[in-house]
Amino acid sequence: MLDCHIIKHRADFTVDVALRAGVHARLGIFGDSAAGKSTVLACLAGIETPDAGYIHWDGQRWYPPPCPLHQRRIGYLSQRERLFPHLTVEENVLFALDRRQRASEEVWITELRAGLGLDTLWKKPATTLSGGQVRRAALARSLCRRPPLVLLDEPFVGLDRPRIRSLCGVLCDWQARLGFTLLLVDHDPAVMRSLCETVIIMQHGRIASTCAARQLRADAQEPPEPACAD
Amino acid sequence: MQPPAAVRRVLFTAVALALLYPLYGLFAPVGSWQWHGHHAFASLRVSFALTLVALAIVVLIGTPLAWSLKHASRKERTAFDAIILLSVLMPPLALGLLLALAFGPSTAIGRLLLSMNIPTSNSDASFIVTQMYASLGYYVIGATAAFEAVPADLEQSAALLGLKPWRIFRRITLPLARLGLAGALSLAWVRALGEFGAIMVTSYYPHGMPVQLWVNLQDSGLPAVLPLLVLFLATALPLPWILHLRMRRHRYA
Repeated sequence: MLDCHIIKHRADFTVDVALRAGVHARLGIFGDSAAGKSTVLACLAGIETPDAGYIHWDGQRWYPPPCPLHQRRIGYLSQRERLFPHLTVEENVLFALDRRQRASEEVWITELRAGLGLDTLWKKPATTLSGGQVRRAALARSLCRRPPLVLLDEPFVGLDRPRIRSLCGVLCDWQARLGFTLLLVDHDPAVMRSLCETVIIMQHGRIASTCAARQLRADAQEPPEPACAD
Repeated sequence: MQPPAAVRRVLFTAVALALLYPLYGLFAPVGSWQWHGHHAFASLRVSFALTLVALAIVVLIGTPLAWSLKHASRKERTAFDAIILLSVLMPPLALGLLLALAFGPSTAIGRLLLSMNIPTSNSDASFIVTQMYASLGYYVIGATAAFEAVPADLEQSAALLGLKPWRIFRRITLPLARLGLAGALSLAWVRALGEFGAIMVTSYYPHGMPVQLWVNLQDSGLPAVLPLLVLFLATALPLPWILHLRMRRHRYA
C-alpha cells in the first residue's frame, strides 16, 4: 500500500499532497499544467526529494531519509523519458533483467513486444526511433521486471488516438493480471477514465477534489476504448 | 551572421596550410640523414614502455577521481579544480626542477625512497613519476568533462531499473563517456610521451625519444635528428590523432 504526504516547495507555490493507494489500485492525478502533478510522481520515484512529509510503500520507508533509487522497486515513466542511446530497443527493454531472468521471462517479454508494437523495432538502435516509438519502448522497459508500483507521467504523449486506445486496453489488461498499483498523470480525461478508478484533481499544488474516474468531465473529443473492468 | 562559404574556405585553407607548414621542415636541405638505429630504438623502447606504465597508473587514479568529481560539491570541485589547473599550467622545466627538489635527498620522502633503493632521478621510476605529474591533470580534466557530458537522467533511469551505482557506471556512464575518455587519454599520451623539459631535469637517463632528439641535435646536428623525428612522429601521433578524429566525428554525427 502506498501512503505518502509530500511537501515540496516550488518557486511560486508549494506542492502539499497526501495520498493513499491500496495494492492493485488505479489512481489518476489530473489537473492543469504546473499544478504539481509531475512533482508528486518525481518525489515518489526519488528523482526529486520532498522538503517534508513522508513516503511509505508496502512496509518500506522511502522518505525520510531518501531511499536510494535502485532500492525502490517501481516502474517509472517520466515525461522526458529517454532510451539509453548506445543500446538497441531490445537491450533497452531487457536492461534490468539478467540472463537468467531473460530466459524465465520470455513469455512476458514476448507479450510486451507485441502489446506495445515493438516487434519491428526490436533490433533497431534506440537513436533511430521516433518520439512515439521511444515512449512505447520506454514503457516496455519500465514494465519489464513487473514492478508492483507503476508511475506513468503522460505516457501517451506523441501517440495518435487509435494507438492510445489500443495501449489503454493493453495496460488495463496487464494491470489486472499483474496486479500492480498504478499512478497515472495525464491531461486527457478520456485516458483517465479508461485507466483509472479514482482521480484526484490538483490545483496549485494541492488536492482540490477527488472523484471516480468515470465522473471526470468529458473534455476529450473521443473516449478511448476499452475501459478497465471494475 | 555567418561569413560566406567562399570566405570560410579561404580562411580554413590558409590556417590549415600554416598549421601544416612546419612539416615541410622534414624536407629541408640538411645533408644526408644519419641513422643511429641502436640509440633510436632504445629511446623508442624507453619512451613507449615507460609511458604505457605511467598512463596505466594515470588512468587507474584519474578515472575514479574524475567520476567522483562529477558528484562533488561546488566547494570541493572549485578547490580541486584549482589544484589540477596548477599542475596543468606548470611550465615543464619548473615542474622538473620542483620534482627533483621535492623527491631529492634533502627531503624526507626523497631519503625514504633512497633508503628503499628507489632512485629518485635518472631512473625508470623517476621517468614514470615525471610523466605522471605531467599528464595526470590533462587526463582528469578531459575525463571529468566526459563524465559530465553523460546525462544524469539516463543514470537515474538505470537506477530506477534496479541497478546499483557501480553497475550504472559500467553499463551506462562508461559506455557513453568512452569517446571523451579516449580523447582525454590521447591528450595525456601526447603530453607524457612528448615531455621534454621536466624529463631533462629528473630523468636525463634513460634517454627517452625527446631527450634522444636533443642529444642527437647536440652531438651530430640536424642530419641525425630528422630520421629520429620521423620515427617519433610516426609512432607517437597516429593513436591520439585517430582517437580524436573518431571522437569528433561521433560528436558531429
